Amino acid sequence: MIDEKIKQTVLSYAAKIVAEGMNGKGDCIAMRTKDGFCVNEAGAALDGLKAENLIELPLDTDDKDYVVIARLFAKRSEVHAVLYTHAPFVCAVARAKATIPAVLDDMTQIVGLNCKTCRSATTDDLVKGLKKRNSVLVPGGGALTVGRTMDEAYTCALVLDKASHAYVCGSVLGGSKVINCIEAKLMNVIYQKKYSKANQQNISKREGE
Amino acid sequence: MAWTKEEEIRLRKVIKDSGVNLLKENLVQGTWGNTAVRLDEDHMLVTPTGLDYVALQPEDMPVVQISDTSVWSDGKKPTSERKIHAAIMADRPEINATIHSHPVWCSVLASARIELPVMSDEMKKLVGGPARVGAYGLPGTKTLKEGTVAAMKGRNACFMANHGVFCAGRDMDEAFEIIRVMERSCREYIKQCTLKITGQLEYSDELLFDYFVSKYGK
Repeated sequence: MIDEKIKQTVLSYAAKIVAEGMNGKGDCIAMRTKDGFCVNEAGAALDGLKAENLIELPLDTDDKDYVVIARLFAKRSEVHAVLYTHAPFVCAVARAKATIPAVLDDMTQIVGLNCKTCRSATTDDLVKGLKKRNSVLVPGGGALTVGRTMDEAYTCALVLDKASHAYVCGSVLGGSKVINCIEAKLMNVIYQKKYSKANQQNISKREGE
Repeated sequence: MAWTKEEEIRLRKVIKDSGVNLLKENLVQGTWGNTAVRLDEDHMLVTPTGLDYVALQPEDMPVVQISDTSVWSDGKKPTSERKIHAAIMADRPEINATIHSHPVWCSVLASARIELPVMSDEMKKLVGGPARVGAYGLPGTKTLKEGTVAAMKGRNACFMANHGVFCAGRDMDEAFEIIRVMERSCREYIKQCTLKITGQLEYSDELLFDYFVSKYGK
């Protein structure tokens, strides 16, 4: 039985993703539960998602639709939410199979030093693509994003969308200027270990984890 | 203290509402971005560091000394960007409200480090001329502060390289008008650049995406 607070968190963030226009075909929204994870059932769109469309699965599920999500929850204990979304500018980068470099400082903090389009949509490539990152692009698809809370995963998806705008629009503005690797890494560490810590703990309680 | 308790209560609410309104108007993501309002010539109220704008209460906003931002009281720990807000208020006595944020279209130009030409009479009136780009620096650093102050000379808005936008008004309503006109103007500029580079007459996101994929696609 899925905790009511978790269900409400999932439904409210599904609505936020739709309101931001980041939804598309094959979207997924998942949140860790005591016994596994809560997720929208295959084929249930985020637009108009209802409590009866949510299911709970164990972390060792072999259901092919959810095995990537299960692997992420199992492999990264800090991850409590996983999203697969289709913001149009993000999809344009995934279509180009490009890597978004460190174009904005908030991107380096929450997403990572860059965001790659992984080689293929296989479970191994996706999980590998998320190593030391909170987002990875699926070639010809959307973005897979994780967070310590649902709020962090959602914010990460928003910031990735903004970085995609910067990178895509940069192509008509003479190119984006990239933040150097050491400074990007420093900002990432400060955000993950210090800046966001108290807020994520407060949000975690609010979301019912 | 050169302000009344009533005025402080009113301004605490202005700051609280400014954070919520940035979120509502999609002018910020998460806890990034910060705002400030002047209390008197040497004090301002600012948003605290790294906390949810919705959950914050008016009493959480700290009072920060403009001439020495390490001195603060009466709230939660202030934003690390308070030095920039203070530097602008110290440099510009007519400025009573400031916003630093990362809205989408302004962030595009900040990332490309491109000056935004005057796009409309409204922008000319509110911003005061083309919006410059301040020098790149890590958040909270002297480089970022000095770069922003220099780019704001004679202007009410500037970009912060790879970071976002800074806007200053005589009150918070005017600062919001400025950030809105900056966001609209950036959007229009990107559309114009897309049409110019593709040689097409009508803008669509697809046109931009196709150009991007043709240039960066693997």
